[in-house]
Amino acid sequence: MTVAPNNVKSLPFRWQLTLFIVMICGLTLSLAFAGLYLYDVQQFDTEIQRRLEKTRSVLIDSLEPMLEQNPNATDLPLHLLAADVQITAAAVYSADGRLLGRYLKPGTNETIPPLQRGVSQILTNDPGVVWYPIRSNTHLLGTLYLKAELSDADVDRFSNLLRGSGIVFLASSLLAFVAAYRLQRRITQPITELAQVSASVQRERDYGIRVSSSASGEIGLLIDSFNAMLDTIQSNTTALDHARMAAEESREKIHEANDQLEEANRTLEARVEDRTRLLVKASKDAEEASKAKSSFLAKMSHELRTPLNAIIGYSEILREDAVDDGDTRTADDLDKVLNAARHLLGLINDVLDISKIEAGKMELYLETFELQKILSDVVATATPLVGKKGNSLRIDCPPDIGTMHADATKLRQMLLNLLSNASKFTENGTITIKASRLPGVVADTIELAVIDTGIGMNSEQLSRLFQAFSQADASTSSKYGGTGLGLAISKQFAQMMKGDISVSSTPGTGSIFTIRLPADVQVKQPVVVHTGQRLTKSPFPLEASKPRILIIDDDDEVRLVIAELLKMSEYETSEAGSGQQGLEYAAQNKPDLIILDVMMPGGIDGWTVLTKLQGNRALADVPVVVLSGANDTEMAMSLGASSVLLKPVNAARLTAEIALQLSPLARCYVLVVEDDPDGRDIVVRMLEKEGWQFRAAINGNAALHVLKKGHPSIILLDLKMAGMNGFEFLENLGQNPAWAAIPVVIISSMDITPEMRDYLSPRVLAILQKGKFNREDLAALVRPAIQTCVLAEN
Amino acid sequence: MPKILLVEDNEMNRDMLSRRLEKRGYTLLIAVDGGVGVALAKSDKPDLILMDMSLPVIDGWEATKQVKADPATAHIPIIALTAHAMDSDRQKAIGAGCDDFDTKPVELSRLLGKIEELLKKFPPKA
Repeated sequence: MTVAPNNVKSLPFRWQLTLFIVMICGLTLSLAFAGLYLYDVQQFDTEIQRRLEKTRSVLIDSLEPMLEQNPNATDLPLHLLAADVQITAAAVYSADGRLLGRYLKPGTNETIPPLQRGVSQILTNDPGVVWYPIRSNTHLLGTLYLKAELSDADVDRFSNLLRGSGIVFLASSLLAFVAAYRLQRRITQPITELAQVSASVQRERDYGIRVSSSASGEIGLLIDSFNAMLDTIQSNTTALDHARMAAEESREKIHEANDQLEEANRTLEARVEDRTRLLVKASKDAEEASKAKSSFLAKMSHELRTPLNAIIGYSEILREDAVDDGDTRTADDLDKVLNAARHLLGLINDVLDISKIEAGKMELYLETFELQKILSDVVATATPLVGKKGNSLRIDCPPDIGTMHADATKLRQMLLNLLSNASKFTENGTITIKASRLPGVVADTIELAVIDTGIGMNSEQLSRLFQAFSQADASTSSKYGGTGLGLAISKQFAQMMKGDISVSSTPGTGSIFTIRLPADVQVKQPVVVHTGQRLTKSPFPLEASKPRILIIDDDDEVRLVIAELLKMSEYETSEAGSGQQGLEYAAQNKPDLIILDVMMPGGIDGWTVLTKLQGNRALADVPVVVLSGANDTEMAMSLGASSVLLKPVNAARLTAEIALQLSPLARCYVLVVEDDPDGRDIVVRMLEKEGWQFRAAINGNAALHVLKKGHPSIILLDLKMAGMNGFEFLENLGQNPAWAAIPVVIISSMDITPEMRDYLSPRVLAILQKGKFNREDLAALVRPAIQTCVLAEN
Repeated sequence: MPKILLVEDNEMNRDMLSRRLEKRGYTLLIAVDGGVGVALAKSDKPDLILMDMSLPVIDGWEATKQVKADPATAHIPIIALTAHAMDSDRQKAIGAGCDDFDTKPVELSRLLGKIEELLKKFPPKA
């Protein structure tokens, strides 16, 4: 107990109970004794009264006649009262109030009180005292005063009684106390223990303690319930502890797992870095190897040919000298040397060609040329060769065959190869070159056929024909010469130019080799170029539905490439192969953005598509990114394009532009209307540091488009622009009440005449001359507008 | 007789070509590097220049540019001779200002044809 036990309430329970019981006993006893005492006292009083009564009547009987005889008699026999020990005083008063006689018990110090006048009462407050009028039949004779008390014996008896009672009282109390103390244990002990256990449970949080005592009745129920509760708590606590430990374990495991994951991540990252480094190195190595290959090929070309040139050259000189000298034998020998040397040169050239082709280093040099000229060149070169075996050479070429756009050198090489083959395998026959132009839907095809009346080939020989190093059979090279590479190279050349060589042959009759090439060989330039810069991903990566982008381009490959690119950047794509398809699709499923190729020959052209898109109310606000080949930026912007990118398109730029167009317009932004990209750059760079948002438009039209999407806080406007210029734009601005309040700052290189100034001043915030203002001037004009906007937003 | 300036650093090539051309009746001037070539062109004003592209001191492209840049020599036709058969070299030669192009090993008849054509186009200033 921490409370000072001054308060009864704070005494231990068992003392409280004990005290309580003792108090009850005491109370009961006290009441009993009080009752007894009062009874006794009353008994005594009654006794005394009775005595008095008796004495009084006796006395009166004797006193009456005496007083009747002599009303002032003084020899009253009051002394006789001594016989009664209880009478302590007596007195007789005459009728007129004189004391006639008195008696006092010896040994008392009683006094006779004076006559009480007007006493009609017999009894007074003191039961031991009586005033009794002595009456004759007719009148008052006198008054008798009697006082009685308990005799000593009675008094003793009384005090004995009291003493005895007191002892009994104390004994009973003690008994009660002891009994109470003993008995209370039965009640308080369980309760006390309950209290102690509760306290210690609470203090020490030991839920294993139980109340051991038992009791019956409600206390027993309480103890049982308490114990049961502790059971529950204990089992709960145990369960909780287990759970906590399990949680701890789990947490540790999670930490471990996390650590492992981090570790794995780091390892992975490290590995990726390593791998990347390796890849970069490998790619660099490959590049270097490729460069080495190129330089090797070039070098070999030179190194191998140089000595051969010498051999051929000098042999030719010697041969010429021999011929001049008439030395035919030497001339013949030298011919042999020359043949061998030329053969070797042919071999070297073929090997170098094949090497180049296989190294991917063979390039096309495209030019436009007259087909007839090439044919006549080739024929001129081949005539001696053809003539050797008695063959005749014919050209079959329509005079209007026209021009061709291809690699002339390679074409010559191919034709010479075919002619050389034809002349090798034909004797005394005819070799014809037949040229024809086949018109086509998209483009024409040129067919060049070399027809011979030679030995022909069977199907097995045909199957091996275009393979490098395989001639019709192993003996061919010795019999017919040749390297076995010529046809393989020619076929490669044809295929490089998006054409092919085919052959048909009948053994014994002859062969026809046909070169088929597009009249206008186009080498595909990639439309989309990756420069390794990071691609910009969709500005809404977390949303459930990705932005949908419609790609309108007639070139399948381009669509595919762009679609792949967009998918990588977290967009959904749809494609349309023509303007018509694009418009239909867009009308049905409004895309979030459209990529439009304006160069689409055939069908609706790109510009019309753009105009129609802008004309359709529902689609007018869909941003259109135009891919254009020429410098059509202004036209595109005027027609409503949001942005123009020139082909070949940089992948990173394309994705960045798309992300920009899809991002919602910043709430408080600066609109820069300026057609010169450098001018735009300068302004933006000046103000970038302030952290403001910018949008650019290349002329008034484009600016209006942007305005329709969202109001800028301020417009920086150039005056001289193609399409809609600054003045027209201001006019438009003023006419629309929603826009008229937007502050405008003119930034122009023009000389502002006073008339212009008059026109502009009321409409614009300030007029700045290009090159004559600094960063702070401009910032000071823009800042308030932005701040007002920002405050309005918040 | 038309004067041809041969700018060629390889001795054998030089020898072969000059002998054969002289046999055909041309007068030959020899330069063994680009620098000498340009100097000779300026001093002797040949009727045609056969310029090997790989030369020491200044290479053939540079020498061609210099000859063509000088108004005194700009009129002289130049045939580039190159052992490299790659198209890029051909482009480069034309870009430098050559009037024609031939590959080595030289096929004499072909080369003669080109020389004659150019001399017809740009007749020697007699």
